[in-house]
Amino acid sequence: MIKYLIKRVLWMIPLLVGISLISFFIMHLAPGDITSNEASFNPKASEESRQRLRELYNLDKPVIVQYGLWLKRMATLDFGTSFASHQKPVFWQTKDKDGNVNKGLIQEALPITLLINVLGLMITLMLAIPLGIIAASTYNRWQDKSITLFNFIGFSIPGFWLSLLLMYWLGVVNNWLPISGLHSLNYESLDAFGKFKDSVNHLILPVLIPSITGLAGITLFVKNGMLDVFHQDYITTARAKGLSEHKVVYTHALRNALLPLITIVGLSIPGLIGGSVIAETIFAIPGMGKLFYDSVMMRDFPVVMGILTIGSALTLVGNLIADIAYAWADPRVRRGVVRD
Amino acid sequence: MKNLAFLNNKILKGNAKAANVFLLLTLLTACDHPAQNLSQEVLSNLDKSYPSQAGGTLIDAMIGEPSGLISMIAGESASSAISSNIFNRLLKYDKNLDLEGELAESWQISADQKTITFKLKPNLKWSDDMPLTSADILWTWHAVIDEKTRSPYASDYQLVKKTEAPDPLTFSVTYEQAYAPALDSWAGLQILPKHLLEGQDLHTTAFARNPVGSNYYKLDSWTHGENLKLSRNPTSVLGQAKIDNLVTRIIPDSSAQFLELMADNIDSMALDPIKYARIIPARPELKQKLALYKELGNSYTYMGFNLKHKPFDDARVRRAINYAIDKQEIIDGVYLGLGINIASPYKPGTRWSNPDLKPYPYDPARAKALLQEAGFIDSDGDGVLERDGKPFSFEIITNQNKEREKSAVLIQRRLKEVGIDVKIRAIEWASFISRFIKTGDFDVVVLGWSLGLDPDQYNIWHSSQQAPGQFNFIGYNNPTIDKLLEQGRLELNPDKRMKIYHEFARVLLDDSPIVYLSAGYGLTAIHKRVKGIDNPAPPAGIGWNSYDWYIPEPLRRSEAGRNEIAEN
Repeated sequence: MIKYLIKRVLWMIPLLVGISLISFFIMHLAPGDITSNEASFNPKASEESRQRLRELYNLDKPVIVQYGLWLKRMATLDFGTSFASHQKPVFWQTKDKDGNVNKGLIQEALPITLLINVLGLMITLMLAIPLGIIAASTYNRWQDKSITLFNFIGFSIPGFWLSLLLMYWLGVVNNWLPISGLHSLNYESLDAFGKFKDSVNHLILPVLIPSITGLAGITLFVKNGMLDVFHQDYITTARAKGLSEHKVVYTHALRNALLPLITIVGLSIPGLIGGSVIAETIFAIPGMGKLFYDSVMMRDFPVVMGILTIGSALTLVGNLIADIAYAWADPRVRRGVVRD
Repeated sequence: MKNLAFLNNKILKGNAKAANVFLLLTLLTACDHPAQNLSQEVLSNLDKSYPSQAGGTLIDAMIGEPSGLISMIAGESASSAISSNIFNRLLKYDKNLDLEGELAESWQISADQKTITFKLKPNLKWSDDMPLTSADILWTWHAVIDEKTRSPYASDYQLVKKTEAPDPLTFSVTYEQAYAPALDSWAGLQILPKHLLEGQDLHTTAFARNPVGSNYYKLDSWTHGENLKLSRNPTSVLGQAKIDNLVTRIIPDSSAQFLELMADNIDSMALDPIKYARIIPARPELKQKLALYKELGNSYTYMGFNLKHKPFDDARVRRAINYAIDKQEIIDGVYLGLGINIASPYKPGTRWSNPDLKPYPYDPARAKALLQEAGFIDSDGDGVLERDGKPFSFEIITNQNKEREKSAVLIQRRLKEVGIDVKIRAIEWASFISRFIKTGDFDVVVLGWSLGLDPDQYNIWHSSQQAPGQFNFIGYNNPTIDKLLEQGRLELNPDKRMKIYHEFARVLLDDSPIVYLSAGYGLTAIHKRVKGIDNPAPPAGIGWNSYDWYIPEPLRRSEAGRNEIAEN
């Protein structure tokens, strides 16, 4: 098991280098660089000053040389600073000699995105598992059909449309929830409970809406998993020896049906880190999706590469954890691993 | 640095458009009456008149967050929008766009027109109570031209040959030769405090997020990705502003901004034509509480020809196309009437705009005659004109901007009617610039210019400005224009200068290297709680006296938070 783990971790290094190489070249294949956005088309900004910028950022060198420079910095875990005019650190905060802290872009954006997406995933699972079980145990009856209908509606509604509709109805017409942002303007002056309440209010819509639209897939997955398990011999055996239906479903069937969910959760890790541009834009949330999108549009290479590298590293770690969790939960897999 | 408004900060327009259509549908059909966050009493008293009074909080919203507040290096308009409340400049433009002193009490131009001497107002102070002197101005000039400062706007200041600060109240600059845009450049440079920035790297300094300035407001707090809060600077060098606090919320989506405006959570926002002309007028409760303002910006949309490509080197062809395009149709259809037809590259109604010039009228018959004169005849009867056996066909390239794409479609139809075959291609901004504009690999573009207040347009039209990355990318080369532009740069007398630029605009219109499509209005909605705003807007725009805007006490929110509003 330990040997397997070490092997998996070591494998991640060439994978990461490969991913970074491909992303670096794709990024540089796109026409334009930071200077085509920053200050271009402002008649006051001269081409000489833009050329100077290019030299300072090494953008005038061949791509392979730039990749070498980037890799050299990465070897010391230096993600560099953003190309944007005021150069914030890409990943983690730096301190200047007067003790002023300059926070990193990813450092600020990642916790927000993770919070929202992890909460969202938890809610999705909390709703999807019971719904899937109900749908499977009432297969082809009205309960199952209405759950399917509900899921399909949720799946087909565009997220931004539902968001705006709910923002209008809950925020403007009824004034029950804040419309956008993460905190009220008077957040600092609230007491601890007030702050908590304020944060929860602001998170309700951004968390709930992706959960609703993401519900369909997982519910269907749980339902099909349950149906598969219901046809297994050991369920027939369990029923034959006279166990209650409750015990059959929750003790014997569910545990087996939930195994594939580990894979699903593992696969959703890139999404948890990546965030969503549209949702973050509509709800005015400074998260990873918006940061990445803006950096690509600005051709802010250090930020793009930083997000891709950290994102792929976290994804690989996530997959590893999913595999380990799988082995832990399923003796069949575990034995297979040990024999390897 | 007031002309930082880029033409491409429409990155998010894609989603915004879809959202807009949805908003339009909902808002036009919904018949419920939203509960407002301000009490009914406040809302029913909005139209009364109130005496001017200090205090209160104004909340507005912007779509992007500034990267920092040192605007000589920050590239985005969000930065200068905030920093202009915090820092002062030597000169500024008044209501009618004439220059007046801001930090400077007066300025003198030497007889040879090469030296400008500024006299500062006495007793100027930074908001940390340190004196503001000519040493700060000298330092700021050194900073902007410093090799290490990657300022895209350094070129104006690099022309200065010699600077002097002989005493704390005097600052003088000497140019190699007379440079008329110099005064405008000193109305652009925000003066930074030497005592806090000396020896620091302007790109990474913590000052950019925690600035100390001298203007009406100072920065209180900046919550990343959420808001910036400014409060009145008690030592402001220009006197005291009326409104106590300015809060700017960062809300990237304009539909979300609009919902916040409807719920009284923000007081002002920039509008697009649909909201201005359709949504708000259709909703009585919005009309009741929002005042709408329109003002002409210093920008226009145009169709530009690649003059190095045939047949666009022929002025008759360019004029023909100008006659064939119905500009009013574009203004009505694309901008819902919220734009005007222009005949010179200057804001109409200002000194530099030549009132005698008239735009090319829509006249397809004349267009056809001119095309025939240039040798274009439909010899095979397929509806497309030919010359030397080649059909007249070209591609219009534009960036992904819905207004420009729609304008291109209308142009396509009108040109088809006179026998020109047009294709349209819309491309993402950075690719557009590097693949097509820099390489000169295009026939026709639809683009916009956003200009400063000085009439000098040497960078755009002078024949020497055609290298890749320079702004005369259409390849315009006209000795008369070159000469006028050179004269205009040397002439510091405003009246003589005006004549030069009137003539420049006349030659340009006649030669038609570009087709002016429209100058769109800047549209703003401001809550009627805010009083003291000039309507209609003077030439300098409604913001010229924002320090005098006020919010009468009965119309104030209890304070800036929505919870408190809801509870009261």
